[in-house]
Amino acid sequence: MRGHGFLLANYVPGNSVIHRTPLACKFLLVVGSGLVSFLVVDWLVSAAVLAALGALFLLTGAGPQRLVSAVRPVGLVLVVIGLFQWWQLGGPTAARIVLNILVCVVAASLLTATTPMQRILDGVVSLATPFRRFGADPERFALTIAIMLRSIPYIAGAFADVRDSARARGLERNPRALVLPVFITTVAFARQTGEALAARGLGDAED
Amino acid sequence: MAIAVDNRPEPKSLLQDVTLELTEQRIGVIGANGSGKSTLLRLINGLVQPSSGTVSVEGADTVRAVRAVRRQVGFVFTDPLSQLVMPTGREDVELSLRRPVRNGAERRRLAESALERLGLLPLADQSIYELSGGERQLMALAAVLAVNPAVLVLDEPSTLLDLRNRELLRRTLSGLDQQIVMSTHDLDLALEMDRVLVVEAGRVMFDGGPAAAVDAYRALVTNGLAAP
Repeated sequence: MRGHGFLLANYVPGNSVIHRTPLACKFLLVVGSGLVSFLVVDWLVSAAVLAALGALFLLTGAGPQRLVSAVRPVGLVLVVIGLFQWWQLGGPTAARIVLNILVCVVAASLLTATTPMQRILDGVVSLATPFRRFGADPERFALTIAIMLRSIPYIAGAFADVRDSARARGLERNPRALVLPVFITTVAFARQTGEALAARGLGDAED
Repeated sequence: MAIAVDNRPEPKSLLQDVTLELTEQRIGVIGANGSGKSTLLRLINGLVQPSSGTVSVEGADTVRAVRAVRRQVGFVFTDPLSQLVMPTGREDVELSLRRPVRNGAERRRLAESALERLGLLPLADQSIYELSGGERQLMALAAVLAVNPAVLVLDEPSTLLDLRNRELLRRTLSGLDQQIVMSTHDLDLALEMDRVLVVEAGRVMFDGGPAAAVDAYRALVTNGLAAP
């Protein structure tokens, strides 16, 4: 299977200011970037925020190529959204919406490129700990995030494989030949993942 | 002990009349595809539960004490990609250690040690998709061994590997202290075991030394082909 590039940038070891920034600040940056998409109404502000985040990403030493790789998977979707919004609401609104989505992707990539996954999971566990009094298991929250991050590129890879198979059989215009195999692969993947986690005792209730 | 699938129009037994005590250090399970090998292995880890009879590991019942059983029994799947959850090997090994080791620094140290033991430290931060099949399988093995299980169950671990990677896996397994129970189609590998079970149509047809077991399996296959 191919197409496994992560939607967000993988961790790049380093010692930049961003690497050393506390996890809570980076979490806040991601949350803040999400809020930007609701609050900012001027596409120029969105562009400025995106430029600032892009500069911060380059400061990490992860390199522009990794930034491009992180954004590329959403490129086609953004083009479709942008064209539709342009048609419906005009250029400035379309630009603002597309830029705001990019802001979210780059902010999240900034977090994942400069923070080891285990640190992110530790952070999720800390955030979820107050819910323990309601019977929640914080480790399960972390495991859910980990599986979500793992599943997105896997399903993207499955779609790429199925699309190639459909093309080889001359069925690229048949939506059933695309959707059904991806659906079946995804369900099989979910079962396999569940079984693998169970075999490793991950996701079991706390002792 | 028996295991059956009852929610089909015609209930089908996957394994039946199996009574085994597995005490040898290296135990192989051979048999045709669909014969019940994987079901037998999954019973040991509690992934599959018997519909009648009992399975226990070191006194812990796989139904009543499944968590205790899974702490003792590590399971390696045929396809490491269905087992590795995290983007890199290091992160996956650390994931295995999250429950037993709360301290992050200690977890990182133990993960490094587990990777180093299998010579995987240089590959620890590579994406699992950039690794070869053998390296991936070893990475999955490292993630399982990190929690130091007493028993290691491997379901056809070499099926997807080329000759070089098979050899790499074979050497790694031969250096482990854990009791190993492994299903395989690799008869050379089966010959290196202390005891081999031949499974056919949900029954253990032969249980004994490796050379005799491989002969029995060959005879079974030959007779099966001659039958029609």
